[in-house]
Amino acid sequence: MDDLLTDFIAETRETLEALAGEIVAWEADPADKARLDAIFRFVHTVKGSCGFLDLPRLGRLSHAAEDCLAEVRSGGRTPDAALVSAVLAIIDRIGELTDALEANETLPEGEDEFLIAALAKGAVAPAAVEAPAEIAKISVMPATPPTRTVSRSIRLPVELLDRMMAGVSDMVLARNELSRLLRAGGSDSQTDVAFERLSLCVGEMRDAITRTRMARIEALFSALPRMVRDLSAELGKTVRLEVDGGDVELDREMIEMIRDPLTHIVRNALDHGIEKPEERKAAGKPEIGRLRIGARQSANQILIEVSDDGRGIDADRVVRKAISAGVVTSEQAAGMNWSRKLDLIFEPGLSTAEQVTGISGRGVGMDVVRANIERIGGTVDIESTPGLGLRLSLRVPLTLTIIPALTVSSKGTLFAIPRSAIDELVRPKGDQVRIERIGGEQVVFIRGKRLPVVDLGRFMGLTEEPQPGLLVVLRAGGGERYALGVEAVHDHEELVVKPAAPALMASGIYAGTTLPDNSRPMLLLDVAGIAAAANVGRDQEAIEEAPVEKKKTRTALPTLLFRDLDGAVRGVRLSLVERIEDVPTESVVETGGVQMLPLQGRLTRLHSVSALPASPRLRVLRLSDGHNMLAYAIDQVADVVDVRAELAPAPVAGPIAGVVLHDGNPIELLDPFWLFTRAVTTPSNDDSPLCLVADADDPWAREVLAPLLGAAGYRVVFAGESNDERVSVIVTTVAPVPEGVDAPVVRLRGTPDHTGDESIYRYDRDGLLKALRRHVAGGK
Amino acid sequence: MGLYLIARIDKEIVALPATEIGSVVEVDQIAAVPRVPAHVAGLFALRSRVLTVIDTRASLELGAIDRDSDMTAVIVEHEGHSYALLVDEVEDVIEASQPEPCPALLPASWRRAAKGTIRHGEEAILLIDPAIVVAGPEPLAA
Repeated sequence: MDDLLTDFIAETRETLEALAGEIVAWEADPADKARLDAIFRFVHTVKGSCGFLDLPRLGRLSHAAEDCLAEVRSGGRTPDAALVSAVLAIIDRIGELTDALEANETLPEGEDEFLIAALAKGAVAPAAVEAPAEIAKISVMPATPPTRTVSRSIRLPVELLDRMMAGVSDMVLARNELSRLLRAGGSDSQTDVAFERLSLCVGEMRDAITRTRMARIEALFSALPRMVRDLSAELGKTVRLEVDGGDVELDREMIEMIRDPLTHIVRNALDHGIEKPEERKAAGKPEIGRLRIGARQSANQILIEVSDDGRGIDADRVVRKAISAGVVTSEQAAGMNWSRKLDLIFEPGLSTAEQVTGISGRGVGMDVVRANIERIGGTVDIESTPGLGLRLSLRVPLTLTIIPALTVSSKGTLFAIPRSAIDELVRPKGDQVRIERIGGEQVVFIRGKRLPVVDLGRFMGLTEEPQPGLLVVLRAGGGERYALGVEAVHDHEELVVKPAAPALMASGIYAGTTLPDNSRPMLLLDVAGIAAAANVGRDQEAIEEAPVEKKKTRTALPTLLFRDLDGAVRGVRLSLVERIEDVPTESVVETGGVQMLPLQGRLTRLHSVSALPASPRLRVLRLSDGHNMLAYAIDQVADVVDVRAELAPAPVAGPIAGVVLHDGNPIELLDPFWLFTRAVTTPSNDDSPLCLVADADDPWAREVLAPLLGAAGYRVVFAGESNDERVSVIVTTVAPVPEGVDAPVVRLRGTPDHTGDESIYRYDRDGLLKALRRHVAGGK
Repeated sequence: MGLYLIARIDKEIVALPATEIGSVVEVDQIAAVPRVPAHVAGLFALRSRVLTVIDTRASLELGAIDRDSDMTAVIVEHEGHSYALLVDEVEDVIEASQPEPCPALLPASWRRAAKGTIRHGEEAILLIDPAIVVAGPEPLAA
């Protein structure tokens, strides 16, 4: 059976068991809001799951119950006995159907409609009498007791896993003790062999049990592509899902706790965040919406970010909803800032969706999301840019997370440092790494870069004299780095980190405790916390800022990614992009295989990798190197990212400089040098010489001559179309030289034969350009 | 009636509610923890658990406990964390009736941690709230 389905069945059954009490309590007091909310959430969750598991019957039932309960929640209907019975009948039915699903049986369908009908408002009086009887009949419907299939997976209480984990850790310690005794007592080889075997078994068992608690967050992410695909198909949207950081390991229980909130968030993003393709197009966004989900470890937390490039949430609209739903008063709302207003979406009973859909939009979800995340000691943050997108950040603690760490010591006291925070290890020696004292503070110059030094021993009060044997260069977050001076570096280990007691955590410099195999408890350092506590020079930071910035731009160049006309995703350095604009496709003129585009009154070279699309509007990147300008036709803009990777140069010179890897995907970078060498004749300065073409009515002048002049670096105006008086040169074939314009005249003739005057054959490109240059130079 | 553990802190006989006590252990090696409040003596590994060791004397602002020899600790759970409260010695577990209010004249350091007194024979024994001991001295008003 499908994993998702198995999960769904197990979850539904569990919730049903948990809900049994709530249902009875609700029946006793239908006005109980908390009970109502719990039941409502259950049917909502079932409905949501059914949507992507393709269980139409369950979906219909839960949707009907949800509709009805939503009415009750909003105060549109008062719960009476009939309604309670009808809802309960549906919940029972959901239970039966779930059992049937597991046993791979089908139940007769007719009764569903009856149950749904019983929810209707009009059905109040008769249903009150008849419904219970009918329901009784229905619930005995399955003639044979449901047979449950044997499953290869079982659900265990995490507490049991905890005990196993504790047990096996004790075993490891006992083994170590035994090992010491054996060494001291001098054992024979037989005992050694037996002990080795025992060690191996214990080690394997420890690994296995550790794994039972840990899981890659992938387990959570793997269901997303399918869900996104199905949901977006249902909603008529195209969405590209990017998932990142699936290898982050997280406590299994934690993953389970995050599953529902994440599902809700993704569903909301698809339903309300990302617009339909037409809307997106109209808003000038790529038609394909983007949903990005990533996980990473950040200090002592796991950060899960879900961002979309949809319409975002309008905080003011949230406030209006909140006021009309009675969650806040308008006086309260008036005193709120933007982010506080946004936070209102986490209040129960609030939904910003104008329309209730089968997927989300009941205002259930965000309150559940926050409740679930806070239950495990996490936080939820929301950032919204109306029109541009929404980002939700879930932060959950790292408790019971295994993290790779480096063990260091000063004065015999051991500490662990999360390896993710370590940049490098250096030994102060020679010219490359020099320690100096500046104003009583130690700083280190590592390959010419200055970093503040925090001596671990002195910082911890273990010694007066700093004696850094080694420097551990740490990233404190926010681009800040410092070197931690330690006496010795011991080991790389995978450590199980648990939260330390509040008194320890309050110090701000510890991220948790851990117990390595030697059974000496050890503290995991909070790298950012130490930076703050040691006050790693605020003023030094200012001094450092400039070089750090410089380095940043060298290593991570902001790059604009776009989908090219041939469908490939390419990139161009953002600094070159002056603007992105839509131009009428028909304005593109083509001469001699060169496409030109009028931009700001000048013809600009237009590059395109393939034929221009037939659409009436063309999207172009306007690239500028400060002097010259060119246009590059694209399909759509994809993203702006920091590309750090090295460029693998292209073997031949061309519009592509080479390939870089970004997120594992090769991306071709445009070669601005190559492009500009070809467009170099299109200066973007207004002081480029102005060439007045007298033959305003001659199509040849417009379509052949003008692009040539433009490409040669002249601004082109036609007679009678500009009042610019700074004309440098006038070009004419047959038309008279406009009066009142004082500039040298270059005359063109239509035939190659010499006519005796100074005219130049109009296809004598070199002669024409030479003449223009001479006149322009002479004019100045 | 309730069960109480009788121990000595700073030579004073005190009672701790037995329901809140996990076990009594000998503590030998304490891993020191720098830059934390004085009443946190360090960490101690009890099998696979890491306990935070509390110096009860420091916690009650009676000085610091002598840490040169093996020490006795009372294990308590508080808000999901395990603590080892260092005591001079553990004497007995007794059954006593409900605690009575504290005597009016009590040194300030004890007054904060005392929940009342229990009667054991002729003696009135001060009943200590482990949570207060764990929390340590009140921070001075800034």
